[in-house]
Amino acid sequence: MFVWIEGTPIAQWVSLSLYAYPFLLSVHIVGLAVVVGIFMMRDLRLIGCFKSLDPVAFLSLGRLAWTGFFFNAVSGLMLFTSQALTFAENTAFLIKIAFIVAGMALAGVIHARLRVSLLVGSADISRSTRTVALCSLLTWTGAIIAGRLVAYIV
Amino acid sequence: MLESIVSFVDGSALNQWIVAAWWIWPVFEILHFFGLSLLFGGLLVIDLRLAGHFRRLDPGATHTLIPVVLAGFTINLITGILFFYGDPVTYASNAMFQIKMVLIVFAGLNALVYYWLLHPLVHNWTTSSEAPLAAKVVAYISLTLWTAVMLCGRLIPYIGEYLGTGN
Repeated sequence: MFVWIEGTPIAQWVSLSLYAYPFLLSVHIVGLAVVVGIFMMRDLRLIGCFKSLDPVAFLSLGRLAWTGFFFNAVSGLMLFTSQALTFAENTAFLIKIAFIVAGMALAGVIHARLRVSLLVGSADISRSTRTVALCSLLTWTGAIIAGRLVAYIV
Repeated sequence: MLESIVSFVDGSALNQWIVAAWWIWPVFEILHFFGLSLLFGGLLVIDLRLAGHFRRLDPGATHTLIPVVLAGFTINLITGILFFYGDPVTYASNAMFQIKMVLIVFAGLNALVYYWLLHPLVHNWTTSSEAPLAAKVVAYISLTLWTAVMLCGRLIPYIGEYLGTGN
């Protein structure tokens, strides 16, 4: 299957064009800053930093993070196609994807809880929400570490 | 000026240490990516609120994120200087690197404008205050400059006479 992916026109364009790879990496770095940046600020807030900041505001900021995620999913998929076989066998890459899936699932949990807080009108952050936020923070840190190591570990 | 910095750095003990230790690059790159997430994530909240978005947020409260932004900047300044120490000749001659440095200086000047002119005003804002034009301009310039800084940084291995093995 990965061999087939590498043969698709998109994969060919990404691997052969002089501009495709740097362009997609450029999109990917800005998307990373938006997604991880916003989620880290949200998680730090929920853990107990910046107490004067309204945590519910991270629901609307979250939409910006989802937009960033969309751009990174698309650019990431395109980068993947060019060397599908290599990436699929790269441990760091597989760990990175696992961290991202976990991070997005935790974001779903956190945002559902923030929506409840918005409805109830309560600003209290439960102990379990704090734990989920801490896990999320570690998950995104892990995704950055694994993602960078993709270039170094075969 | 750049040449004298390069000749000072090149061959120094720190330069030789970084060149010799293979693990330095990935570790510092990870820290650099972590730092940019803190820097840009904090600025997104501060600047977008400054520009008038996310009115739920108390504008003054977003300023509690400034230490996070400064922490991200400090991490990246230190790791960035160490990258330069590791390969001074190629960085100094790289157009993207040079542009990136100039953009960071502009971003710093923009932050000073904010600090001197707008910071005192923001503290009197309420959640319903309309953002003044000057605030919007400073906020969008800040986000645009930092985005451009990231792009230039990412393109260093691809554009501008880079001789290393970039990845």
